[in-house]
Amino acid sequence: MATDLMSNGNRPSAEDIAARRKVIEVDRLDFAFGARQVLFDISLDVREGEIMVVMGGSGSGKTTLLRHLVGLMPPQPGKVKLLDKDMGALNRRQLLDLKRRIGVAFQFGALFSSLTVAENVKLPLRELTDLEERTMDIMANMKLEVCNLSGFGHLMPADLSGGMMKRASIARAIVMDPKLVFLDEPSSGLDPAVSSALDDLILKLRDAMDISVVVVSHDIESAFKIADRITILDKGRILISDRVDAVRNSPNERVQNLLHRRSEQIDVDPTEYLRRLAGD
Amino acid sequence: MANPAKFFEQIGRRTASGLDEMGYATVLFFEAIYWTLTGWRQRQPVRIAATFAAMVEIGVAALPIATLLAATIGLMLAIQSLYSLGIFGAEQYAFIGIALSVVREFSPMIMGILIAGRSGSAIAARLATMNINQEIDALQVMGINPNRFLVAPVLIALVVMMPCLAMWANIVSILAAGLYVSAELNQSFGAYLNDTLDVLKVDDVWHGLGKAGLFGIIIALVGVVNGSMVKGGAEGVGRVTTRSVVLSVTLIVVADMIFAYLTTR
Repeated sequence: MATDLMSNGNRPSAEDIAARRKVIEVDRLDFAFGARQVLFDISLDVREGEIMVVMGGSGSGKTTLLRHLVGLMPPQPGKVKLLDKDMGALNRRQLLDLKRRIGVAFQFGALFSSLTVAENVKLPLRELTDLEERTMDIMANMKLEVCNLSGFGHLMPADLSGGMMKRASIARAIVMDPKLVFLDEPSSGLDPAVSSALDDLILKLRDAMDISVVVVSHDIESAFKIADRITILDKGRILISDRVDAVRNSPNERVQNLLHRRSEQIDVDPTEYLRRLAGD
Repeated sequence: MANPAKFFEQIGRRTASGLDEMGYATVLFFEAIYWTLTGWRQRQPVRIAATFAAMVEIGVAALPIATLLAATIGLMLAIQSLYSLGIFGAEQYAFIGIALSVVREFSPMIMGILIAGRSGSAIAARLATMNINQEIDALQVMGINPNRFLVAPVLIALVVMMPCLAMWANIVSILAAGLYVSAELNQSFGAYLNDTLDVLKVDDVWHGLGKAGLFGIIIALVGVVNGSMVKGGAEGVGRVTTRSVVLSVTLIVVADMIFAYLTTR
């Protein structure tokens, strides 16, 4: 089982990773929705060609962190640097240039329902470049093929299965050949076989395109399979951010609870729980 | 008895929320103009194809129902005018009231209400659904400005097509009213049209068309603001769609009164 979970064959060594350039630097990021603090003093980095999986329970702040990383939320206290650019200090044009160098695949695909799959994938090329239609077609078809979707470009998003929708979303995220790709819950709602195929796709993309990937996920098996490093968030704080083995063997009880899907609330004798509910 | 503090708190909250929406609508309006004028310089032009598609959807596709409504309004005005003027024996002057009320009031307002119901609701529903499906987020992270991509084409289409529809409604209403009046008064249709063209000034036509353009802006902004504020799933989409229609129609009527007050006295 352990070997199955460790199938990121090209996982670089810790020394190798440490020697690489930082493509994401988050420094002391705080964020609050009104009076509710969501992120506390988050600092982390992602290196070139690295796959970082951000995990945590519901409400742990991982989606908020992702929204900061992709520029959907401006960093208030704290700093977010992508590809050596401080996102808080960029003007509109510089931010636009930076966004062309990153790709994002959302949890539910976020494909435009009025466009075909191929048109969805071509959209960034059409809107952000001056390429000819033929060139755009070739580029979009290449990315669809990489994502095992060749022949499905003419379909509408509503005609796709969950797994195909995720792959189409990834195809759109990589169509501009970004240096950095963010994937939000890529395996959620998928059966294990499809989820595993998606993990293979993520690894293939990293190796073929030499991109850095940040994956926000609940899926522990998937995380162990694809990650070079895992960051676990708990109530807005980083619980651990380390190599896969270090996370797996962490003595921290909360880390182990999360990894083994144990929860303090659920970890109660059901009979005792029902008795308490009944007021006995 | 209701807590008066709560009552005033509610008023305060709603006022703040209304001001917030107005501020957002103003920003949207100027951003859409900004992208329309400068988008091509930033290599992000407002797409002509998308604008034409919106014009066809909002204007051309609405022609059958617009024609039916305009003809009905023209006939209704003719019937009422003949009845009310008949009290004084002045039926032969019906064309004056019909021409002026159609061109200055009814055509822009009826077209405004029609398009608010037909297209304003569609704009709100589309944007709300896109919001829920994270499509707006997807545009933003791709570096595609949603105002340029989604709002500007719709705004341009409404500002162009609303006066076109109002002009079409003018023609249809006056023709329909003319057919009825000339038949009732045993007058020639040509004479009726001649009298109508004599009484109408270019300013009257511009008055109506200007209002129609203003209503177009109202419909677009109300639709977009409501679509952007959606919360919840399908229920939220339904709520903002209904709110968008009610708010558009209300604002159209209020703006019509203010416009008439400022330009007619």
